[in-house]
Amino acid sequence: MKISIFKMNPLAVLFGLLLLLTGCSQTVTRVDSDTVTDLSGKWNDTDSRLVSQEMIQDVLSRGWLTKFNREQGKAPTVIVGTVRNLSHEHINTRTFIADMERELINSGEVEFVASAKEREEIRAEVKEQDLHATEETRKAMGQEIGADFMLQGSINTIVDAVSGEQARFYQIDLTLIQLGTNRKVWVGQKKIKKTIEKGGFRL
Amino acid sequence: MLIKRVVFQTEAVKLSSHLFCKLVLILLSGTFLQSCASYASHATSMRDGLLQGKPHLSLAIAEQKDPDQEEVISSLDKGMLRRINDDFSGSNQIFEVAKQEIEQLYGISITENLAALTINETLRGYQGDRYEQLLLHAFMAMNYIQLGQLDGARVEMLQANVKMMEWGDEPEEDAFLRYLEGIIYESLNELDSALISYRKAYTVYKEKGGYQYPAAPPGIKKDLLRLLAKQGLWSEYKSYKKEFNMIDGMVEHEPVKASKNMGELVVILNNGLAPIRTEAALPIYSTEVQQNLRVAFPVYRYPKRRLSTPRLFVNKKNYLMETVADVDALARYSLEQAMPGIMLRATARAVVKYNSQHSAQQSSDLAGLLMTITNLVTERADTRSWTTLPQEIQLKRILLPAGEHNVQIKMQNAAGQIIDVMGEQVTIYPGQSSFLIKHWAAPAAKKRQNE
Repeated sequence: MKISIFKMNPLAVLFGLLLLLTGCSQTVTRVDSDTVTDLSGKWNDTDSRLVSQEMIQDVLSRGWLTKFNREQGKAPTVIVGTVRNLSHEHINTRTFIADMERELINSGEVEFVASAKEREEIRAEVKEQDLHATEETRKAMGQEIGADFMLQGSINTIVDAVSGEQARFYQIDLTLIQLGTNRKVWVGQKKIKKTIEKGGFRL
Repeated sequence: MLIKRVVFQTEAVKLSSHLFCKLVLILLSGTFLQSCASYASHATSMRDGLLQGKPHLSLAIAEQKDPDQEEVISSLDKGMLRRINDDFSGSNQIFEVAKQEIEQLYGISITENLAALTINETLRGYQGDRYEQLLLHAFMAMNYIQLGQLDGARVEMLQANVKMMEWGDEPEEDAFLRYLEGIIYESLNELDSALISYRKAYTVYKEKGGYQYPAAPPGIKKDLLRLLAKQGLWSEYKSYKKEFNMIDGMVEHEPVKASKNMGELVVILNNGLAPIRTEAALPIYSTEVQQNLRVAFPVYRYPKRRLSTPRLFVNKKNYLMETVADVDALARYSLEQAMPGIMLRATARAVVKYNSQHSAQQSSDLAGLLMTITNLVTERADTRSWTTLPQEIQLKRILLPAGEHNVQIKMQNAAGQIIDVMGEQVTIYPGQSSFLIKHWAAPAAKKRQNE
């Protein structure tokens, strides 16, 4: 009589079907951009913010900055290289690079020059000016500032999973390398660990 | 309206809440059925365009379906057809939707299973069989490759990896996925990771070759040996070489040492179309009610189709392509594995239906008849499967000097005639891999009519 449970109360069946039918109506709630919203457990804005905050605090408090100031008598000029995404998620690395760039420039301790991609557009514009702009407003080529340091990095993940459960470990490494000497003057590292559990049942 | 009136009449005859609920239930289920009952027929008309060499027609049909992007199956079809029509970023966009929907369907649904046991299987959320879920990552990776984003392709491979890990206890490794993973790692110059992938791929080909997978293609053996030699793992190299020589004696597996200005061409051909499930019905004797009960279930009615053979020409030199994935076999194997469960649920469902008919019959003859008809109509097989997948995936890697090369794939039918030619200029860069990925299901329709 194993199958007899399927001869169940039709009211229960009806109830189940009604639940199936109720579509989810959409609601929108505005939240502060600092709110932690962990939905799927994937990399999100909170992770991005935490990483950039921690990295900036770290990079500005280390000895390389004062040393450079003492030796050269000016603020170091930095350029952002590539931050490679070696994780198992499609992570937009630009958001936290942009965050870092903003904080660093605003701190006044570091100067930034345009990255390789941005430079192309700027150079095209300067070239245009060379032909079309008036003598007084024309910007000459060959006046760019060479960067002293390059910021490079990567995002790596280690995922361990069994059915319905996952442990995700993110490691973000950033390195500041002195151009010319290839000396690493600063290495920043941030680790984030999350566990995700998925329910075995749903409606 | 007629049915409604009948409902109220029977209600007047005998106010049976039991019967009333059943009828409401079936009326409700009618709305479900309209959307999913006919996946096989929808797929057939959708595939027609591909089989006539007019993939844009197939895409147009696919795009009309499921505008809310809620069904995994529709999103998979759309993604594949957008790919075939060269819209790689659009394809990835909808594939990503499918991926998230699959994630949502994780876990056992109580209501859907209830519906599957009382009405039919198409009311269960479709999340794709395992081979389909893995191929989703593979085709997303191909999209990323064709968009020039190798890092993106790498991400897809890692995600597939997590998926296989989650399935856990009985490792569900996929040979083609591992092979593709290795190729992607190697083109990113991550040789140690590539070697691990090749090893895993070869193991699966060796263990399951001839069943769900083709026998280990010569390419994987060469790749494995090449990387072992590069890493200097000579003892492993020797043992693999011995093994390969035992299997196919004469074949030369000596790895070629590439000079500095050589690059690699990777040609992937998605050949043909995956098989399509159709509905079959059988009377099954139930010991519980001592009656023959009709149950519907999905079958692959047609045997494997014979594919056209691709002849690959690079600068007029002829190469043979190797089959690295047999999607047809994977699909049939997957259904075979699911069959006991499907039949079990079908029998249970038939008993429920028989009992509902029986109790309706007791209240009135008309109600009994109506219930019998609805039960018959609602007994539908779940024919959903990702039918825009290729039948086979074929691959060839060739070392070439850097520069422009003329690559042609000539499709040869069973009679030996060339029925279609796909050609492209490919640029090879020193020390890098260039990919040429194509789909083929039928000769491209002649464009002469427009001219």
